[in-house]
Amino acid sequence: MAREFQRGHKARISDLTAGRDLYVGVQIAGPGLTFDISCFGLDANERLSDDRYFIFFNQPKSPEEAIQQLGPQAGDTDSFRVTLDSMPPAIQKLSFTATIDGAGQMSQVGPGYLRIVAGGEEVARYSFTGSEFSTERAVMLGDFYLKDVWRFAAVGQGFDGGLDALLKNFGGEVAEEEPAPAPAQGATPGFAPPGQAAPAPGFAPPAGAPAPSAPPAPAPPAPQPAPAFGAPQGTPPQGTPPQGTPPQGTPPQGVQPPAPGTPQMHGAPTIAAPIAPPGQVPPPGQVPPPGQVPPPPPPGQYPGQPPFGQQPGQAPPAPAPYGQPPAQPYPGQPGQPAPYGQPQPTGGVPQGGGAPGLQAALSKYREAPTGQRWTPQNPRLMRVDLGVGGQPVLARQGTMVLYQGKVDFSYKGAGFRGRIVGNATGQEMQLMRCTGQGQVFLAENAAELHPIELQGDAICVSAENVLAFDESLHHEVRRIEGHGIPGGALFTMQFQGTGTVVVKTEGTPVVLPVTPTTFADSNAIVAWSAGAQVIISSQVRLRRSAYPGHSGETVNLQFRGAPGNFIVVQPYEV
Amino acid sequence: MDQQMISGFAPAPVAARMENHGPSMLKVAMQSGQDLFARTGSMVAYEGFVQYEPNPPAVRQMASQWLTGEGAPLMRCSGDGLLYLADYGANVVCINLNGDALSVNGTNLLAFDAHLQWGVERVKGIAKFAGQGLFNVSVSGTGWVALTSRGTPIVVDCGRGEDETYVDPDALVAWSSGLKVKGKRSFKASSLIGRGSGEAYQLGFSGQGFVVVQPSEDSTDRLRARG
Repeated sequence: MAREFQRGHKARISDLTAGRDLYVGVQIAGPGLTFDISCFGLDANERLSDDRYFIFFNQPKSPEEAIQQLGPQAGDTDSFRVTLDSMPPAIQKLSFTATIDGAGQMSQVGPGYLRIVAGGEEVARYSFTGSEFSTERAVMLGDFYLKDVWRFAAVGQGFDGGLDALLKNFGGEVAEEEPAPAPAQGATPGFAPPGQAAPAPGFAPPAGAPAPSAPPAPAPPAPQPAPAFGAPQGTPPQGTPPQGTPPQGTPPQGVQPPAPGTPQMHGAPTIAAPIAPPGQVPPPGQVPPPGQVPPPPPPGQYPGQPPFGQQPGQAPPAPAPYGQPPAQPYPGQPGQPAPYGQPQPTGGVPQGGGAPGLQAALSKYREAPTGQRWTPQNPRLMRVDLGVGGQPVLARQGTMVLYQGKVDFSYKGAGFRGRIVGNATGQEMQLMRCTGQGQVFLAENAAELHPIELQGDAICVSAENVLAFDESLHHEVRRIEGHGIPGGALFTMQFQGTGTVVVKTEGTPVVLPVTPTTFADSNAIVAWSAGAQVIISSQVRLRRSAYPGHSGETVNLQFRGAPGNFIVVQPYEV
Repeated sequence: MDQQMISGFAPAPVAARMENHGPSMLKVAMQSGQDLFARTGSMVAYEGFVQYEPNPPAVRQMASQWLTGEGAPLMRCSGDGLLYLADYGANVVCINLNGDALSVNGTNLLAFDAHLQWGVERVKGIAKFAGQGLFNVSVSGTGWVALTSRGTPIVVDCGRGEDETYVDPDALVAWSSGLKVKGKRSFKASSLIGRGSGEAYQLGFSGQGFVVVQPSEDSTDRLRARG
């Protein structure tokens, strides 16, 4: 089971996996968008001092092949193979980025992820959605960096410019430099054969049609990550129009804009642009006549769905797996729902599909021990290893779903003062103390769980949203009173110290910075940084008493605080 | 109508007898001669010619103790076509049994091939206070089984140490048949005075095998509760 990363999370790679030969897959997609996914190999100053370590579609591997780009496969938009052991010492950081090729902005991106696979098993996954971004045109997804040992960080930081701006940011040069590495690096033979570059210029001006540019992005699934290297690169990378492929081996010309994937290229007023956005190119040879309805994306390309039941490395089922277009798309009608009856085989229902057997079906749900004290097993299940750290854990009563080892569960009262506060309104926090040696799995009602690691700072969490926390944390119950709050008051627990609090939310929460005008519904608020001050604000309007019916949002919490404070709100009003 | 937004939800071509359509919908390729037992009320859509026989005699004999007067919780589906099943948005896990044996909690069973060997058994040593006790269905043979789980399930190996694995019965989904099960009551004097830890009883598993657990203690049978 992969470990889920949130933006900003970091971990040693050795904690994730013992493997040193890693597969990094990036899935990112958006309606009408194409992406260039690249890897920057940076030196200790985070500069791209050696442009042979800018791994992108025109340079699919570094000289010693420590970084290789494998192309789309196994549900990933693009993928890399990173061999940490053969990484030259000058390279101290690998930054994986995705840039929009053509018009568009990152907020249009659907759910995507960056994942690390080692030994056929996904060990880490950082998921993101477009809602985390705004008008950026590039995003730095994640970093591998060398700090004593190799580590992984989920970055998820947007970047305003495109690929060229990103390259400049890392100290590379675009205009003249970019085609230059091609001659310097004669080590990639067979890549970008001259026949490809030759027709491009002659072809570009009249075309305007996307037809010959690229095959649809999801290539037929390549079963094994490693040997597929190079093969997908023989075809032009997805979405790059022919005029964008820099002629490898030819000297840079002033006329030809050399940077591939610069926005201008795609933003060029080609007639085809509104008809078929660069992301969805009809099958080669099929040029939609202008004015035709845009073909819907092929069935499986919608981004909301991670490829289900698929693990790279493990041989995927021979027929098209879920989340990928059928192996042979119906020509001309890529988006039509696969009609029932057509796939219905005449010879009988296929009994295959996936490796048979109990273990194979359940392997993706397997427990993932990491040796850390708090390990999210999946977004809704938390594993606590009581042996690590050796201190008890306080958890909400009844949240244990499974335990192994010698663990004792005992009643934990709220304390004398807590009981007074609690009994006053009947809202006492019911806790249990888990002590002993072993692993406890905690979950409640399939709510999403978020571990928050406190390092001497403080946070206020609504009492209903606390799932568990280290006993070493100092906690106290506070109440916020106000008219109109259901139950008369809002109970919060303030945590302070060093340790972990697990917060549960119904649905994916939003984290808002505290500004002078930050309001939250008292039912939906989950947590806020302790530096923020809470004020009850009531909307009083004359109209409300004069007419029946009102917005239903009468009492809100207003937050005040210095910049840097934040609040967390869930999409569920208890 | 602009179908661009919804076109991605079209079903993928059939590749197996049972497949997931999204995390929480099951797609079964039906063919005459290969019948299916599914939870009554779990059908959300079908294409083709599929017939449903509620209260089939086979189930009535097999699951007589499972019946509570409102009919069998399983129906037999037969015919040709595509059948879509779901259980109130719970995650669905398809398993292709290859001579394995599995015990599934009754509420977490969604569908299984009719030609599998199956039986209903009552877990001894534990009687849930609310409800009629924990029933589980043991399935074995070669064929397909679909389970439901509220939230992504987790599979935990038992028998790593000498300690048993204890599971909250409400969160239990399935376990491999070789395991020994016994109820455990963590009952102390303090729980009598209202100071229980909230974990009054667990199922202890010992032996070699695995346990499937859901991240929720909501074990209500929604398909039946609707009634």
